[in-house]
Amino acid sequence: MPKTDEVVQKLRAMLPEDAVCADEAYKAGVAFSVLAPLGKLRDAARLFNEAGFFLETITGLDFQDTAELVYHFNCYEPKSRVAMRVLCGHDQVAPTVSDVYASAMWLEREVHEFFGIRFADNPDLRPLLLPEDADYHPLRKTFGKVNAYRKREEIYG
Amino acid sequence: MGNGVGSEWIRLIVGLVVVLAFSQLNALFLVWLERKVAGHIQLRPGPKEVGPFGLLQTIVDGIKLVGKELITPRPADRKLFMVAPVLVFMPVLVGFLVLPFGPDMIIRDMNIGVLLVFAFSTFGVLAILAGGWASNNKYALLGAVRSVAQNIAYEIPLLLSVMSVVLMVNSMTFSQIVNSQQSIWFIFLQPVAGLIYLICATAETNRAPFDIPEAESELVAGFHTEYTGMRFGLFFLAEYTNMFIVSAVATSLFFGGWQGPFGFSLGIPGVVWFLVKTYVLIFVIMWVRWTFPRIRFDQLMNFSWKVMIPLSLANLLVTAVVIKLI
Amino acid sequence: MAEKFQEPVVDQIYTLNLGPQHPSTHGVLRVLLDLDGEFIVKADPVIGYGHRGHEKMGENRTYKQFMPNSSRMDYLSGMIYNHGYVLAVEKMAGIQVPERAQHIRVICSELNRISSHLLWFGTYVMDLGGFTPFLYAFDDRERILDILDRVSGSRLTYSYCRFGGVSRDVDVEFIEMTRAFVKRLRSRWSDYHNLVTKNIIFIHRTRDVGVITKEQASQYGVSGPNLRACGIGYDVRKAEPYENYDQFDFEIPIGEKGDALDRYKVRLEEMEQSCRIIEQALDKLPKGPVMAEKVPANVKPPKGDLYFAFESARGLTGYYLVSDGATTPYRLHIRVPSFGNLHVLVEVLKGTLMADAISILGSVDVVIPEIDR
Repeated sequence: MPKTDEVVQKLRAMLPEDAVCADEAYKAGVAFSVLAPLGKLRDAARLFNEAGFFLETITGLDFQDTAELVYHFNCYEPKSRVAMRVLCGHDQVAPTVSDVYASAMWLEREVHEFFGIRFADNPDLRPLLLPEDADYHPLRKTFGKVNAYRKREEIYG
Repeated sequence: MGNGVGSEWIRLIVGLVVVLAFSQLNALFLVWLERKVAGHIQLRPGPKEVGPFGLLQTIVDGIKLVGKELITPRPADRKLFMVAPVLVFMPVLVGFLVLPFGPDMIIRDMNIGVLLVFAFSTFGVLAILAGGWASNNKYALLGAVRSVAQNIAYEIPLLLSVMSVVLMVNSMTFSQIVNSQQSIWFIFLQPVAGLIYLICATAETNRAPFDIPEAESELVAGFHTEYTGMRFGLFFLAEYTNMFIVSAVATSLFFGGWQGPFGFSLGIPGVVWFLVKTYVLIFVIMWVRWTFPRIRFDQLMNFSWKVMIPLSLANLLVTAVVIKLI
Repeated sequence: MAEKFQEPVVDQIYTLNLGPQHPSTHGVLRVLLDLDGEFIVKADPVIGYGHRGHEKMGENRTYKQFMPNSSRMDYLSGMIYNHGYVLAVEKMAGIQVPERAQHIRVICSELNRISSHLLWFGTYVMDLGGFTPFLYAFDDRERILDILDRVSGSRLTYSYCRFGGVSRDVDVEFIEMTRAFVKRLRSRWSDYHNLVTKNIIFIHRTRDVGVITKEQASQYGVSGPNLRACGIGYDVRKAEPYENYDQFDFEIPIGEKGDALDRYKVRLEEMEQSCRIIEQALDKLPKGPVMAEKVPANVKPPKGDLYFAFESARGLTGYYLVSDGATTPYRLHIRVPSFGNLHVLVEVLKGTLMADAISILGSVDVVIPEIDR
């Protein structure tokens, strides 16, 4: 996985000490898991883009104390997926990466309409899957039938 | 036939009645034939429930169509909208007047017979344009405009190929053209013209693979999108009758008309030969429809202007030179 | 007099709705096209007509209860989605699957891939105006549906896989029917090639139409046969082998230009490779149980998350499971390949003709309900 190692090296240089964990056995489906602060999100995305990675998916997680954005990057080599997690408070605004990755336009629209996380500078934040006049955010744990609403440390320790 | 003006009138009236009856029956039969041919090519039987072999299916469908509500969209141009289906059917009926069904079975053996058929078939294009424009619908207009461009483009090589035959016979009278094919059919003397004629005839009748104006997957139904009930039925039937006319003309011009092979009638009346040959050609046209995908519009226009027209012009030139030499 | 006439219409761009009710069915897709004459200036897909809330349902159902949902997202690759979901949960919960079950699941998934590609083939040529290959393709597809119906009970949306294996063992007739089917399909290639691939009208409608460049593919996350037609040989079955795909010998067809004709050829070749996998799996099918022992009735994976990727008929699909140790997931996100495949068309459709738009839409093989979830 040479490409992945390159990128992770540069990430380690940019981010604090224990932000990058390796997963040798590919147990969680990712080679590396990176915890990045909100401010470094765009720089990290640019690093991935320059290294030839594509953005596989963006999704959100709703916890009691915070919300989390999970970005999965992948390249066309075997077993090179890297997950980047960004903690984003419920009322915080996240920077957009749609100028780096064109696919983020729609992916951010989906995260916004389901979780209510706003992305600054995304030119088009209309709902993607929900009706145009939807003013609710279905995947939040305060909407509809919910089985558990936990704090982040209960799952990730 | 008889003598005097009276028998002429009787002949005319009988001919008219026969033509009307025949054209309707023929249209019904052709719709059934198309569905059967389509079915068997697609590994399924086609209509088989209504009547023996599903023969009554078209009549039943016609009755159903007649019973449907005739909707006129409010922003449509009412007069043109209602006139268009009638306009598309009439010129097709005129073509029946000059077709040589048998040695003495032509209603009016005009000395401009060939010209008459093609002059009137162009009216159909006007009707399509009228229908598409009057519908006040973007899809219909797109379909109508494309149809007009296609018809104009393919009319030219059609006429040029027919001119090659006319040049050989030195006459536009159908009976003379058929008579001069006694020794050898013109398809063997003019194979290029025959092929061009068949291709252009398929394009003129808006049949696949040239059916962009009407059966486009994205244009819904082209110029007859907004037509319902029997108005749509008229467009539909006119298409099949038109198909019969062009096949009949092809039979007369290229395949010997009512003559048997090499002039031997083998005891079978001329009209049977004529009809058999016409229906075989119609079958070929249907066969082509269910085999090939559709050509894109700009490729269609390129094909006509850059391939068909030069080819038919060259054919005409060669014919003229050869006739001069012989 | 002059006031009665309108301004001359020069360079007027009009909006046409390639509406939700569409003769060329790909699902319920609406594309707002800005047209200049016949050329497309802007294409804006509007989706969400089929949104059923599968991800929210995922949080409110136990792992076993979500199984039918997995088939219904992309109903044309229902078995493959089922298979992927079961593999994801098994990996997270640490459940081992007996060998016989692994082979059976691979055979059924590959049969599903062939049936999805056959349907695509029929509908694509039908969109282009050739109505007949559709029925021939469906004739072949009926045989697959019969085979899978015998063993799982349904024809389109299967819930055949279980955590730890499959629900029911296959009998000798299944093996014989599958072998006969593979043999018959191979004899049909010549028909399809003569009727469609070598047809000059078809070639003119697909060559150099809808070219997706490698950069566009990477920017939009295109995957599956569309990506392989561009020249990038990425297939999840080879890059991250799951189940026992690493035991089988098969190739990945790669195209050159990334136009519609290449996508068509790649899919046809993929069907042949799937036949190879099926044959090898049938030859190697071991005896044994088809269900693991001691699988709990309510699976409770340990806390943590897992991203499991597999190759559906449309491309790279992923299940992202976050578990909090309970019987229902905390978050279940599905990454669908049609998302990126449709998104790239916003760029590819610019400057093309209207008639080509249909050809391009058909050639990328999008299933809208999986985007809508």
